[in-house]
Amino acid sequence: MSSLILKRPRYRSLRFCQTTCSNTHLLSPLASISETQIKSPYSSNSYNSLLFIPNQKILVSGFSSGLLESIKDPTWSHFSGPKHGQFSDADEKDKVLASGFVVLKRNVSGFASVLPPRGDKGLVYLRCSCSYSTQAAAELSTSDGLTVDGIVASNWTIFDESEGDWKSHAAAIAQSIQVIKRRMQWKKLTVRLELLAVQLDKPDLWDDPVNAGRISREHGSLVSKIKEVKAFEQQLLEHIDMIKLAREEGDAEMESESLKALLEMRRNSKEKELEALLSGEQDSCSCYIEVQAGAGGTESMDWAKMVIEMYKSWAQRRGYKVSLVDEMPGDIAGIKRATIKLEGEYAFGYAKAEVGVHRLVRISPFDSGKRRHTSFAAVAVIPILGDGSTRVQINESDLRIERFRSGGPGGQHANTTESAVRIVHIPTGITATSQNERSQHMNKASALEVLQSRLDQLEMTRQAQMNAQHTQSLTEISWGNQIRTYVLHPYRMVKDLRTNYEVSDPDSVLDGEIDGFILNYFSACLDKEDDYP
Amino acid sequence: MNLGLGRACLFSSCRPIFSASASLRTVKPQIPLFLRPPTHSASLLDVKKWHEWAKNLTSSVGSSFVEFDNGPDSSLLCRELNWLLEDALENHSSFHFPLSCERDGSDHDENVLLRTSLDDLYSLWKQRIEERRPFQYIVGCEHWRDLVLSVQEGVLIPRPETEKIIDLVGDIVSNNEELGQGIWADVGTGSGAIAIGIGRILGSHGRVLATDLSPVAVSVASFNVQRYGLQSVIEVRQGSLFEPLKDVEGELSGIVSNPPYIPSAHISGLQAEVGRHEPRIALDGGAGGMDFLLQLCNGAAAMLKPGGFFALETNGEEHCKFLIDHMQNNAARSFHNLNIVNDFAGMQRFVIGFRQ
Repeated sequence: MSSLILKRPRYRSLRFCQTTCSNTHLLSPLASISETQIKSPYSSNSYNSLLFIPNQKILVSGFSSGLLESIKDPTWSHFSGPKHGQFSDADEKDKVLASGFVVLKRNVSGFASVLPPRGDKGLVYLRCSCSYSTQAAAELSTSDGLTVDGIVASNWTIFDESEGDWKSHAAAIAQSIQVIKRRMQWKKLTVRLELLAVQLDKPDLWDDPVNAGRISREHGSLVSKIKEVKAFEQQLLEHIDMIKLAREEGDAEMESESLKALLEMRRNSKEKELEALLSGEQDSCSCYIEVQAGAGGTESMDWAKMVIEMYKSWAQRRGYKVSLVDEMPGDIAGIKRATIKLEGEYAFGYAKAEVGVHRLVRISPFDSGKRRHTSFAAVAVIPILGDGSTRVQINESDLRIERFRSGGPGGQHANTTESAVRIVHIPTGITATSQNERSQHMNKASALEVLQSRLDQLEMTRQAQMNAQHTQSLTEISWGNQIRTYVLHPYRMVKDLRTNYEVSDPDSVLDGEIDGFILNYFSACLDKEDDYP
Repeated sequence: MNLGLGRACLFSSCRPIFSASASLRTVKPQIPLFLRPPTHSASLLDVKKWHEWAKNLTSSVGSSFVEFDNGPDSSLLCRELNWLLEDALENHSSFHFPLSCERDGSDHDENVLLRTSLDDLYSLWKQRIEERRPFQYIVGCEHWRDLVLSVQEGVLIPRPETEKIIDLVGDIVSNNEELGQGIWADVGTGSGAIAIGIGRILGSHGRVLATDLSPVAVSVASFNVQRYGLQSVIEVRQGSLFEPLKDVEGELSGIVSNPPYIPSAHISGLQAEVGRHEPRIALDGGAGGMDFLLQLCNGAAAMLKPGGFFALETNGEEHCKFLIDHMQNNAARSFHNLNIVNDFAGMQRFVIGFRQ
């Protein structure tokens, strides 16, 4: 398709509308048209018109009715012209969709706001880099006013993907967009964005650079999240416009292309739904998973080992890089405690659903009396913050570094590959151990990394207490109560106590198939919040 | 060669590393496993079979080595086994994926690339468990500080305690620019560990002369120096103690050494990995263990320039105290700030001081 991709949010109220545009091209409809010297193809009485530029197709997927009235204003007179579909100068092969506000690039930054002419005839205000919040709240529509909510409300039948019905694709995608918005807690998000924008506008913001950095980072990340969904929505509407246009034009090639694009979007939308579950600030981070055996001796240490193995194979399946940081083996079997590191996108986002106490019921192989035992293992998940985040400063003098070594005279007498290091952060008493690297040096570095993440997490919790909005999600990350029960005897079942989701094959779960539990948990705790209209 | 000059003279019959005639020949260093090309291929299933076999062999050890001579227990050996796999496999991360492959049953004959043959892996792990051959010789390298150093039979495996010498030198050099721009000597360099550690601190500002009597050590140290691209900073010289350093007498900014310091009588009771496999000439310090330490102390005054620094690793408290006494009594006017420094385990390990 053409390089001219046109986006235009439809605004119910046009007193103040904004659109995205490239840094250097702040374009109002007026500007774009005059700049590109298009021969006034806008219809004055229909807002659904075609602009034509040689070798490019533009569909003006119009101004909303609100703007329509203002278009009738004489100052917009150069919008008068042939009705849509008239390609007087056009080569039939070259058509492109355009919408009210013309943007020359897809990846846009900076925002322009346009005050449509009302009292002041033809007066157009352009304002650069204003907040995105109004944009988020605005609703997008097709040229004939169809919105995502509208599509869902029309209850178009959703057929199988193989059925090439555009309405069915569109309905499926629209549903996904609603799910995505709900999961992202769209309303909260926009409120938060507005709040951040207000803070960003304060002149004394940078008096506290750390705080300012945090605010502008969060603002930036929210803006890009919202933008992404908006773009997806826009894409859907554009394709619908295209299909309608193609039908009117009888352009079968264009229709099938758009249909293909819709199908592609439909396939992507499921993935986007998943991603939307992970829209927290730290969700995309790598993380540590720690498992600690509960009371109950060897049986629960064996259980802790099974749990950590479950996470190892789950993580490997997901394609994360897994490394064992620290392991304290049990006296007879299993582990007392272990820490693994998961590196990869969204490791923390997924793994955080596993925080809590996991319970096992089985006939213990360590009990000669073959009695049924219940044991517990606690799971903690710690995000490894990226470089961009503010991390806690650690003073070298606050650390006590202990190295494990066997007794004896040491030095040349002993040859050991054991080089475990334990670091104690004296002011907080927080410790970290690493033993799986091949030199003390590397173990120290690795333990320091764990310590850093623990201190970061502590700091986040502290911050969260000051910021009520985030408290809810963060309390879920601390050690929680029992979340799941794994029964191997007298029947076989794994059941999540938070969602009641259950699986009758414990072996597959212990082999790392826990995505079902994770996704159900997210759906349950996010979808229940009636955030989306 | 006169008796006072070096480890080779105390060289015992247990491991004929070189003879007088061989010492003139350059020894070709072995390439550590992890640096070898992955030219061997084996089916994933066979590698897993080997891994299972090795794990079983390892767990049969339990704590018997610990009880016998304070050797490794099975959980440490298991960790070593994973490291061996890490070094031997071309793509180590692939090894943990096959779980899912087995399930769909399609990729049973998937091949993996190895840096040594599967047969070799069997015999290597047998050597580790049955002969107690040190893990570092098995894989041909030792992770020391942030370095990965090539090691092989005939060269002492650098100990974690010795890492401290680099920290000591780093502190000295950061407070005294002049010393950082001078010539340092690592006497009895072995794998070149200390020389490389110091060479990386000094950079192009200074120079390190690394000496060793053993041609194996000279060749391994040179290999390691090359691997870290420090040829312009570190020069490896063959010879005993200060003998190859006559041209810089009185000019050295620093002397560091981890000389053989185990009393001869203790050698037979050493942990099997050490006593049976590491070169005796790098361990045996004579009857009291101080033969070389005393020579180093006595020679240091002449070799160091005024203000020069020295650090020697010793067998422990007894050695440290004796050496400090010895220097205060015999060379009090040559040195100042004589001190004992503990190792990470809190044992008195190093004697340090400055030339007046």
